[in-house]
Amino acid sequence: MTWIDFPLYSSIVVILWIFGLVFLLISYKKEAVLKIANLLFVAGWAVLILFVLKLWIELDRPPMRTLGETRLWYAAFLPLVGFVTYIRWKYKWFLAYSIIMAGMFLAINYLHPETYSKTLMPALQSPWFIPHVLVYLFSYAVLAASSIVAVKGWYDSYKGNFDLETLKLADNLVYIGFAFLTLGLLFGALWAKEAWGHYWTWDPKEVWAFLTWMGYLIYIHYRHFHIHKSKQALTILALAFVVLLVCWFGVNYLPVANTSVHTYTQY
Amino acid sequence: MSENHLNVQRKLWENPWGYVESFFIGFGLIVTGFFLEVFVSTSNTFTLSYPFNLYFLIGYVLTLFVLYKWFSTSQIIKWLTKVPASISSITLVTFMVMIMGIIPQVSSESNIINNLGLNKITSNWAFLLILFQFLTCLGLISIKRILQFKWSNFGFILNHLGLFLALIAGILGTGDLQRLSVNTYEGKPSWIATNSQKQEIELPFAFYLKDFVIDEYNPKLALIDNKTGSIAENDGKNLYLVEKDETYYIKNFEIKVNEFLATSARLGDRYHPVNELGSPPSAFISVRNIETDSIINNWISSGSFSQPYESLKISEDYSIVMTIPEVKKFSSDIDILTQEGERISTVLEVNKPFKHKGWKIYQLSYDDKMGKWSNLSVLELVRDPWLPVIYIGIFMMIAGAFYMFWMGNKITKNQ
Repeated sequence: MTWIDFPLYSSIVVILWIFGLVFLLISYKKEAVLKIANLLFVAGWAVLILFVLKLWIELDRPPMRTLGETRLWYAAFLPLVGFVTYIRWKYKWFLAYSIIMAGMFLAINYLHPETYSKTLMPALQSPWFIPHVLVYLFSYAVLAASSIVAVKGWYDSYKGNFDLETLKLADNLVYIGFAFLTLGLLFGALWAKEAWGHYWTWDPKEVWAFLTWMGYLIYIHYRHFHIHKSKQALTILALAFVVLLVCWFGVNYLPVANTSVHTYTQY
Repeated sequence: MSENHLNVQRKLWENPWGYVESFFIGFGLIVTGFFLEVFVSTSNTFTLSYPFNLYFLIGYVLTLFVLYKWFSTSQIIKWLTKVPASISSITLVTFMVMIMGIIPQVSSESNIINNLGLNKITSNWAFLLILFQFLTCLGLISIKRILQFKWSNFGFILNHLGLFLALIAGILGTGDLQRLSVNTYEGKPSWIATNSQKQEIELPFAFYLKDFVIDEYNPKLALIDNKTGSIAENDGKNLYLVEKDETYYIKNFEIKVNEFLATSARLGDRYHPVNELGSPPSAFISVRNIETDSIINNWISSGSFSQPYESLKISEDYSIVMTIPEVKKFSSDIDILTQEGERISTVLEVNKPFKHKGWKIYQLSYDDKMGKWSNLSVLELVRDPWLPVIYIGIFMMIAGAFYMFWMGNKITKNQ
């Protein structure tokens, strides 16, 4: 069992998942087929886990060294978190999102096999790497979804048929996203202590991650006490997402960028 | 709706204080802070160290407790435990941190930035004052919820008290945080460390570096534009790691690696495997131009601190070079020699620190110029006695995050 078997296994996984997604889509009309969709997702996931385990046994070490192996773990963990979130919150689109993201990582591995042996600087070689990135991946996705809900809210109130339920959905998404955001931030702090000797160094990326966290903190506190001021809440939500985008992409373009440990030189 | 009407009717500073008053006070603190920065600026930053930071913490928490228990009817305490004070302080702390996120925190040529201390926000009075208000709000509401003794406050206390502990211990702990670096050389004992002020400190134990090892990745192949001398674009793909018998395609060139030597030296018209100080990697490659079917082969090498590099010109426009190998892993095999005559052996590596008598010992760096032939290994020693408190805070917040994920927004007031 090596990477040579990867195309076979990944194709099986992806095909199972695509059928699952189709059934998930149908389930919006016909609830009963959702079970089939879930069954297909679980089956695909089981095949993937089988591949990871066999690869692990074959390599005689946890497959966590190369970028390809890292992606394999993303693909394995994304559906798991998606399932837990789905079981708790019943957001079908979120399950679909996690499956599609996982499939995407498999596809990238399939299309770029040359990246299997990629260089990774020593500080990044840590068991914290995958959980740190993974929880952020989820957090950003859920918070982005909350912003889409906010846009819908704005549009509705512009049209004059704003429904408070819309904001309640946004609230719930922010709570879930914020929980992941907190985990990402704290995992990062714990990792930094192991790698650089200090848990918090006000690195530009850290500063903006902290600001994102604070932005959503304002929203949560505002919503908690001003249930009926929906316009203001929507504005705060939109601003918080702008800060998130700065943290995600924008930091590299700010004057502070060259002092960051999070900007890796890429050719 | 009724909230708005109330706001219009009541006068400023009338009971209870709302958002206007809260932001007024918050801005007042920030402006005061900036005044202090401009007129009372001191060159050295003020920090509390043991035991004064501990006294401060005990005094602060006791004060908060006393204030909440016996003065909770006073206007200011009522205000501090209400939402407008929390939201205004969160917003203003965010504002101050945003300055830090935009203005580089290094010495500046602008007088405004220097005088207002905008390039040293973490020790800026304006930031410290607003953070103090933030912490006071956080502390008071934590005490309030704890004293209510209700299970439904569980998640709330985890999140709020956790943040309070992590922040206060982090801030007060800076006075006791020690970060020292030690230069160790292969085959020699070292016990002199230097701190961030470049002062030398004698350690109560010594390090004996038995071996310093660097593992490298193979070097990479890069296509260089002959005119600009920089790396030519390759459809956004990464550079290729050189591996024997592999074939790579860059633009319309087919590059085959016929031979690869990890450490080598040029002798006559070819490279030979040798293992000497500064012997660089090399490869024998053949490059086929797919359009013209012409083939060029020769040796290339990345060079080292003692040897020149060698590239291969493959057309008018392009050359192939071998990049300097990147570091995969570096580690120090050390013995720690204590005054009691103990000898503790361990291997230090990035991400794998070692604990010894309250110190955490990290692999920091080495002589980059010498690369894998470096016999210098720089270790870092960190002592942070407040760390357990910070970790308690962090783990409370992690537990709080799981709670939040599971509960969602089910606890919204009045719903």
